[in-house]
Amino acid sequence: MTLTEPPATPVVDPVAVEQVRTARRGTFRRRRHVVVGLSLAVFAAFTARVLLGDFTITVPDFFTIVGGGTIPNVPSASFILMEVKLPRAVLAVLCGAAFGVGGAIFQAVLRNPLASPDIVGVSIGASAAAVFAIITLGLAGPVISVWAVCGALVTALAIRIAARGSGPVRGHASSTSSYRLVLFGVVAAAALQSCIQYLFTRADLYDAQLTLRWLTGSVSSADWQTIRILTVLLLATLPFVGWAARTLPIVELGSDAASGLGEQLVKADLMLLLGVVLVAVAVAASGPIAFVAFLSGPVARALNHDRTTIAGSALVGALAVVAGDYVGDYWVPGGNYPVGVVTGAVGAPFLLWLLVRGRSSKEAG
Amino acid sequence: MTDLMPQSATHAEEGAVATHRLEAHDLSLGYGDAPVVESLTVEIPDQQVTVLVGANACGKSTLLRGLSRLLRPMSGQALLDGKAIHTLPSKQVARTLGLLPQTPLVPDGITVVDLVGRGRHPHRSALKSWSSADEAAVTDALTLTDTLDLAQRPVDELSGGQRQRVWLAMALAQETDLLLLDEPTTYLDIAHQVEVLDLLLDLNRERGTTVVMVLHDVGLASRYADHLVVMRRGRIHCQGKPADIVTEEMVADVFGLTCQVVPDPVAGTPLIVPVGRHHTSDPQPGKGETR
Repeated sequence: MTLTEPPATPVVDPVAVEQVRTARRGTFRRRRHVVVGLSLAVFAAFTARVLLGDFTITVPDFFTIVGGGTIPNVPSASFILMEVKLPRAVLAVLCGAAFGVGGAIFQAVLRNPLASPDIVGVSIGASAAAVFAIITLGLAGPVISVWAVCGALVTALAIRIAARGSGPVRGHASSTSSYRLVLFGVVAAAALQSCIQYLFTRADLYDAQLTLRWLTGSVSSADWQTIRILTVLLLATLPFVGWAARTLPIVELGSDAASGLGEQLVKADLMLLLGVVLVAVAVAASGPIAFVAFLSGPVARALNHDRTTIAGSALVGALAVVAGDYVGDYWVPGGNYPVGVVTGAVGAPFLLWLLVRGRSSKEAG
Repeated sequence: MTDLMPQSATHAEEGAVATHRLEAHDLSLGYGDAPVVESLTVEIPDQQVTVLVGANACGKSTLLRGLSRLLRPMSGQALLDGKAIHTLPSKQVARTLGLLPQTPLVPDGITVVDLVGRGRHPHRSALKSWSSADEAAVTDALTLTDTLDLAQRPVDELSGGQRQRVWLAMALAQETDLLLLDEPTTYLDIAHQVEVLDLLLDLNRERGTTVVMVLHDVGLASRYADHLVVMRRGRIHCQGKPADIVTEEMVADVFGLTCQVVPDPVAGTPLIVPVGRHHTSDPQPGKGETR
């Protein structure tokens, strides 16, 4: 059979096009609802955190103080709002979003909800490096945060290399190697945890207090300097996060299909690196807030008909940290618990439930 | 389809020499130290259906992976339009060469129209959002594979045959000149196998798409292939038109199977009738020798 002319451009049936459009709209509408709903929830939680609690501030007073004025009769209001409540809430939102996105990226690239940076030891790596710097090297100040970020990167690299699969596509993230990665990660996390505890026994009282902050995530020591640095760093990663959100749907299809669609396999590793950086930076700012990176992706997905959404994960993470901080501060009688304790208390049963439910594999064929 | 070669690469006339956009020169491929495919040279004829067949572990899937840029060559080259395929920008390759992998993964919750839409990825960029060309391609792909009515359904709810058609639609939405498929019919029942193969043949005849696929069933391969490439132990045993090369000697050599080759009563192409231990034909003079 021969063709004497170039293949004709197919004529498209408008009814069919309309069907496709309707089908696509359904997906987008759901996602829009999820993002809008979560944004409102985060806003509500933020407002509650800032305005309510032991020391309530009314809305007009809030704007007065932010505008630079003071409240007559209540001179401490400015301090409490501007130096305690507001920075705490802002830091909570930023760190929560960073954890949420980092966790979601890991879970989507490795196609395994267990493969989250806080489970596989990236957060603990950051903490271990920070604790080492404080106790053994006797350092203090912002350099500790640099150590934390380096610790996270080194841990991630070590786990990645150790877990390199031996399948047909060697050395790249894939679903088969995610199992090994989780395994190595959990082992690494346990090892690092025992290192931290050993260092703890050798610390003096002052260092021990400093160290605590690196073991349980908390936003209570938030200050604007940290927030400024964190904002700059997160803004710098924003274009990359946008790139990841666009490319994740392709990487999700598996390394073969992704390669067939023009995404080189190294992109998966670059995305994991982005996830590590986000988590490392958040840990450097607030300590390892337990389980936020792990929970955000699955919760956002559950709301979005099981589809991965980066924006949704960021919002869930922010919500978790703001709400967790609020709960830890006021709802537990007789205690002021750092947010890491609250998210840990919720996260552990969730992890258990996920393990018990079993990972449903959705491989075609 | 902006990366088409100039239209001088027309479909081969009967008896004329076909042009080759996709070829392998002295290609060796492997996963570890030992090569699975050794120093293999093959030219895939344009605008024809080429089928790779062979016994298990003969290297046919490996060769396809090497040709589709999934596997780096240990030595030698895989060439697309004269250039080593690994040196080309991957999105450019993806606009020219489409791939249907063997066991594709279905992400959770994805709908049919979502999945097929992802096939447009090589044509999109950060600056170009969803365009009418993307819409037309997706609609066309869904119509061709008869999955338009499934557009809103989640892919993981579909049957095996439907799912394979959806994956094919995704590859079609890519609008490539060449389409490579790794065992597209393995998990399908016979009706769906024929359906998918008929669809691929439609694509080739009506759109001029070069189709290269790995098939297990030599009978089906003989039906649908314009060009059959038979592999054995990492090398090409023979290649050509099915009617010319599918013989009892070839099947015995390559698959280790005694058989009779008869003309397919429907298609006229060679049909392999296996001779086992329990079902043997009456011994004919000069034939039926056991291994």
